[in-house]
Amino acid sequence: MLQYIIRRLLVAIPVLFGILLVTFVLARMIPGDPCKAILGEKATVEVCERFTREHGLDKPIPWQFAVYAKDILRADFGESIRFSRPVSQILVERLPMTIELAMGGLILAILIGVPLGIISAMRHNTGTDVATMIVANIGISMPVFWLGLMLAYLFALVLKGTPFWLPPSGRLSAGLVSIPFYEAWQWQVTAGTTWTKFLEFIANHFVFNALITGNWKILKDALQHLVLPVLALCTIPMAIIARMTRSSLLEVLGRDYIRTARAKGAGERRVLVGHALRNALLPVVTILGLQMGGLLSGAVLTETVFGLAGVGRMLFEAITARDYPIIQAFTVVIAVSYMLINLVVDVSYAFLDPKVRLD
Amino acid sequence: MMSLKGAAESLSEDIDEQWLQAKPMSLWKTTLRRLLRRKTGIVGLILIGFMMVMAIGAPVFAPYDPENVLIGKEKVRKREAPCIHLLGCPSERPQHLMGIDGNFRDQLSRVIYGARVSLSIGFTTVLFAFLGGTILGAIAAYWGGWLDNLIMRIMDVILGFPSLLLAIAIVAVLGPGIRNALFAISIVTLPAYARVMRASVLSIKEMDYVAASQALGASRLRILMSRIVPNALTPIVVLSTLGIASAILDAAGLSFLGLGAQPPTAEWGTMLGAERNQVFSAPHLVFFPGLAIMLTVLGFNLLGDGLRDALDPRLND
Amino acid sequence: MNTATDAPVLSVTGLKTWFHTRDGIAKSVDGVDLEVQPGKVLGVVGESGCGKSVTALSIMRLIPPPGRIENGQVLFKGEDLLSLSPTEMAKLRGEHISMIFQDPGSSLNPVVTAGNQIAEMYEIHRQTAARANQDKAIEMLEKVGIPDPGQRASAYPHELSGGMAQRVMIAMALACEPQLLIADEPTTALDVTIQSQILELIRELQEQTRTAVILITHDLGVVAQMADRIAVMYAGEVVEESDVTNLFDEPRHPYTRQLLKSIPVLGANQDDLAVIPGRVPSLVDLPGGCRFAARCEARTEVGLAACTESRPPLEAVGTGHKARCWMYLDNPP
Repeated sequence: MLQYIIRRLLVAIPVLFGILLVTFVLARMIPGDPCKAILGEKATVEVCERFTREHGLDKPIPWQFAVYAKDILRADFGESIRFSRPVSQILVERLPMTIELAMGGLILAILIGVPLGIISAMRHNTGTDVATMIVANIGISMPVFWLGLMLAYLFALVLKGTPFWLPPSGRLSAGLVSIPFYEAWQWQVTAGTTWTKFLEFIANHFVFNALITGNWKILKDALQHLVLPVLALCTIPMAIIARMTRSSLLEVLGRDYIRTARAKGAGERRVLVGHALRNALLPVVTILGLQMGGLLSGAVLTETVFGLAGVGRMLFEAITARDYPIIQAFTVVIAVSYMLINLVVDVSYAFLDPKVRLD
Repeated sequence: MMSLKGAAESLSEDIDEQWLQAKPMSLWKTTLRRLLRRKTGIVGLILIGFMMVMAIGAPVFAPYDPENVLIGKEKVRKREAPCIHLLGCPSERPQHLMGIDGNFRDQLSRVIYGARVSLSIGFTTVLFAFLGGTILGAIAAYWGGWLDNLIMRIMDVILGFPSLLLAIAIVAVLGPGIRNALFAISIVTLPAYARVMRASVLSIKEMDYVAASQALGASRLRILMSRIVPNALTPIVVLSTLGIASAILDAAGLSFLGLGAQPPTAEWGTMLGAERNQVFSAPHLVFFPGLAIMLTVLGFNLLGDGLRDALDPRLND
Repeated sequence: MNTATDAPVLSVTGLKTWFHTRDGIAKSVDGVDLEVQPGKVLGVVGESGCGKSVTALSIMRLIPPPGRIENGQVLFKGEDLLSLSPTEMAKLRGEHISMIFQDPGSSLNPVVTAGNQIAEMYEIHRQTAARANQDKAIEMLEKVGIPDPGQRASAYPHELSGGMAQRVMIAMALACEPQLLIADEPTTALDVTIQSQILELIRELQEQTRTAVILITHDLGVVAQMADRIAVMYAGEVVEESDVTNLFDEPRHPYTRQLLKSIPVLGANQDDLAVIPGRVPSLVDLPGGCRFAARCEARTEVGLAACTESRPPLEAVGTGHKARCWMYLDNPP
């Protein structure tokens, strides 16, 4: 088991390097001058020369890559060319939104997808099964942005005035502000330290923050704003998980050991939970990592539709603005998180499946 | 009483007959028959067929030219709701089954012509990804060693990024446009084909080795190859069909963000993206293009599912 | 209460289990009568497809769709199993009637340890504490001859050899001391050397606990070793039934005779191995008369018209010896 983890980590290192390299190259290859893109077409030559020198853009490319790699590995993401603020600060502000979105999507996808798959499999070939599979098929075919817009139309406009109304954009209603927990609990924090940044990062998860400070008003508002984007985002992963659960369970139910379980006198519930599901859910775990990738991709589209200040949206804007530090840092953060998530999923699977665990 | 020897002889004759007679062509025929037996495959084919007919016959079916701006030619308002004579819209007003878009163009025609763009994106992307992926996978498996490692690591790096984000980055580098979006999506979906092809070639290599060491006659080897290769293609066929579905979705996503097909091209994602801020006042401009995307993608997904079931040798209810 | 020792623990009459497939109705079991005496071993032999496994699964009521028990009576200690509700039947399984299967590797849950799989029997049927269940499980492992049972209890099925896995299955099956054990080809998937060990084990335990056993196999050697009585099945019906010595000394039914002739004899000089010509009839398309008629040597010799016209009933041909053949009946039609 330990061997497995070490082996996985070793393979991850060249991939990590590859990610850093690709990100750097892609960012540099974006045509256009960052100076003009940020300061405008009218920027004079002298201004641009100074700009270029200031941001180290006049040094040879390999040198720039070395600096970039060194900084990234020290978690120094530099300053945004566009905002003249540390990229890490921007990350601290924006990443939590995307995390809340993606985590919400994943949780909902599992909470709805798995039971749907189970019910479908248990009622194999009946009306329920067929109906669920039709819905699942439609689910994986719907563009996230279309679903988001349609949901917004339904809940924000059609259902206006009803108790089912939901806000179509933003994270919190106008006028509401989330109070970070360290302020609410009157902690002494020194601005600017890494520790403070970390606390800020945690506090920017509004739902979590409101939960631990007992701020029910903010909690309700934040959740309300999350419902539609999470719903739109989770549809595809949920449908995939439902289908996977169903097919996995159907396969397992045909196996010999299920017959043995029944021969032992186990009731249908014990057969399902104790024997079938324990085996059928294993393959489902393996696709969770992949689904996370889809969720992160979909986050860009969802943040655009619902006007959420997350990492995806920011990355997209940075690409348009040629803001290299943001492009590089955000891409690396996203890619590394994705890699870590996949690592965690692989290790969990190895832990759960005795055949892998003990080899 | 018959002897065991005689029985063994007649049995081996049976086996040879079957193997020699079953040509790869019949594999496809049986697949088609099994595909049509279940509803998923049929519905998928119908949807795809419908979309393809629309795409090919666009000039016939579309009442207007998709880029025809109607100001001055007809008395219509910007982003006007659909006017369907059958459902009560007065017949003096010109019929626009899906309404008017933000540039005074008939949306129905644009949706119909949009089928052309989406379908061609879907097919082309998968074609490139298939070609690139299978060649890379085959090379990796055949050469082995450091080349195999290198190619597979590159595939891992590509897969290390969430697909749409990488596609966005590539399009950002190359500049927005359909062709570049095509290229970006092909790159992002390549690795899947590479992996499948590599796995298949590796298993063939093993068979090769084993067969050679068992000193089978050359004709047997050829039979093995002509049976194994169609088998290796089945996961790729399913992958490709489902790949068309996801390619159309990804392309629509890129276009939605403004990175794919550029206006005034009628592409479903672009149309959606252009009107997204007007969803509350003109929902029909968001609804119809999205519906078209969904139906097309659904068609390919159902076909892919149906093919997967039809090609699976175990499944035989 | 009937205290006579010959009240059978299991009595099957007229059992019919048919599979309703797209290509027709496969009559896997078509009128089977069986009896098992308490504490005795009944061997059920026949070639693949003759319906012996389906009979066993029908007794346990584990027949999956599209199969269905159409008809018959399965009396277990006087109670008709076919009339029980699924919950009542589940209560009987494992506790009063147990079954072990052919391939122990695939018949054990891959993600549960051997010890826990045995302990589960006590969880289901005895509701005792977890700790006590674990200890009893280790006891059972010892009883079935697994060395170092304390360690082995935490092993997963894929870590066990075929023989050990089958021992675990036997431990599971006998954990609650059932009155009847059905063993469906328990040694077919195992190495020859392990086979006799497992059979020995079953014999030992059976004698200890006085469990009745139905031993299903296609191997005549196995039944000769283990069984008290033997039932020979062919194409969904029992064609001969007798006690073991009688069957081997004086086989009556032509099928049994031809089977016994086909066993190669050690040391004898044989050029060809004797084989029964032809094939088992398709279960979807059964012939009208005797099902063995097409391959029967005796028919070609004796030449009875009845053989191809009507199906012979299973009748007594001697004390405690039944056969299904027109040759032995006084008035063949």
